[in-house]
Amino acid sequence: MPESALFADAPFASGLQDFEALVREHRPRIFRFLLASLRDTETAENLTQDCFVSAFKARDQFRGSASFGTWLMHIAANLVRDHEASSRLKFWRRKLRSDVDLSDISDWIPDQQKSPEAVALAKEQVEAIWRAAASLSARQRTVFLLRFVEDMDLLEIATVTGMKEGTVKSHLFRAVQSVRLGLEERK
Amino acid sequence: MNPHLAHRLTHHLTKEQISKYLIGDATPQESQHVSSCAACGGELARLESSFSQFRGAVRHWSDHRSVTDGAVPWNVRVEVATLQGMYGGHKTVAGIGSVLIHVTVVTLLLAAGSLPPVQQAMKEFVPLFAPDLKELQPKPKMEQSKGGGGSPQKTAETKGELPRVAPKSFVPPIRPQDDPKLAVNPTIVAPDMPNINSPNYGNPLAGLGIPSAGNGIGTGIGGGKGLGVGPGGGIGFGGGFAYKIGGGVSAPVPVFRPEPEYSEEARKAKWQGAVLLELVVDENGIPQNIKVVRSLGLGLDQKAIEAVQKWRFKPGQKDGKAVPVSANIEVNFRLL
Repeated sequence: MPESALFADAPFASGLQDFEALVREHRPRIFRFLLASLRDTETAENLTQDCFVSAFKARDQFRGSASFGTWLMHIAANLVRDHEASSRLKFWRRKLRSDVDLSDISDWIPDQQKSPEAVALAKEQVEAIWRAAASLSARQRTVFLLRFVEDMDLLEIATVTGMKEGTVKSHLFRAVQSVRLGLEERK
Repeated sequence: MNPHLAHRLTHHLTKEQISKYLIGDATPQESQHVSSCAACGGELARLESSFSQFRGAVRHWSDHRSVTDGAVPWNVRVEVATLQGMYGGHKTVAGIGSVLIHVTVVTLLLAAGSLPPVQQAMKEFVPLFAPDLKELQPKPKMEQSKGGGGSPQKTAETKGELPRVAPKSFVPPIRPQDDPKLAVNPTIVAPDMPNINSPNYGNPLAGLGIPSAGNGIGTGIGGGKGLGVGPGGGIGFGGGFAYKIGGGVSAPVPVFRPEPEYSEEARKAKWQGAVLLELVVDENGIPQNIKVVRSLGLGLDQKAIEAVQKWRFKPGQKDGKAVPVSANIEVNFRLL
């Protein structure tokens, strides 16, 4: 990525202006990952915010060993993990949280020019995957989303999550097996 | 495994192998098999299309959800970040402090509640309830004759017909008295009237004519009913017959009360105050006979009357029946 090269040379040399451009570039991706992980628009917005704040505060620690996007994703993944851990204690908040409706996600099938049957089928599949992803454990969900929504390869996922590649593999394998089970149950 | 052997891998991939392929962890033999085998390739294509639908849906969805994307400048966000330092790094201390304070307050409250004087006071506490005031309410004044006067006679009263029983006794049954010892001339409650010299009682405003007590009902004079003189009812003079609030007569309640307008002069003069109006709310809840008791001037009196004319009331009631009731209304004029 070009910007990582830029920052490897002079990380955040010109300060806030550059950082703002980076926020603009990476925000959709971070937000998407957080939204898909947490299924709560408000929390996802907040954590996206937190992610960039942490990144800004720790900008001196960015060594350029990975791309800036990966580094941000690493922060986001940590935030998701922390959030899951703390929300396990906040059991009273569970009812209050506005969980995303299943029909919500399946309404966003891209390319609406398909035939109604194809759209209905796609809807069903997306719903099944979404539901199956919800039942995954936090780690499995994270690696699953990173692989199949963010299109990362195993090595990148390992960097982002801080796990070994083998661990990522086994988590991802189990996640895919569960999701496939969900897809087959639908049939 | 021998690559040559793997190339001739004839059995299809297991579920686990397909999953491994999906996550990008397939052996070269498996990859080769997929590219040559229609069944496994089709299965994988189906799964991959499902996943890509899913990816598309999530991306599309998040793009629409992200309302603040790029709208909020980063500078503002930095300010938000500084808010996190509200406890100056003493978050734990602040949390423990807060818990301690709360525990102390609750403990103090409990301790105070368990003190003997407080407990005693609680025992002596008499709960208030809405007492039944019906017996204490003033009874409606019955117009009763205070008993017979005149010359006492030796024999008891004679048998006779009781006058008609009515809710209100306008004229008490009186024994005809031929020669009263102390004659009292009849009086009437009336505004100042022209004093005319006449041998009989009548309406001073009426025209001259054949002697008549008018076409009214009762013992009065004029077109009304009752004891008075003039076209109204009751024992006074003139029209307008209304109960006063109290004594079994409930007050009328306004149900529709448009605000009065300000007059132009009063607005310019920044004139404020209240107009006191006197009026009669008739049995239909419509204000009648509106008079100004306390004037404010600058055209506000007229505006107050105009507004109150549009008011509608739930009429006052006596014995469950709507009756005309006279009332005072204060119309406030305030400039905001």
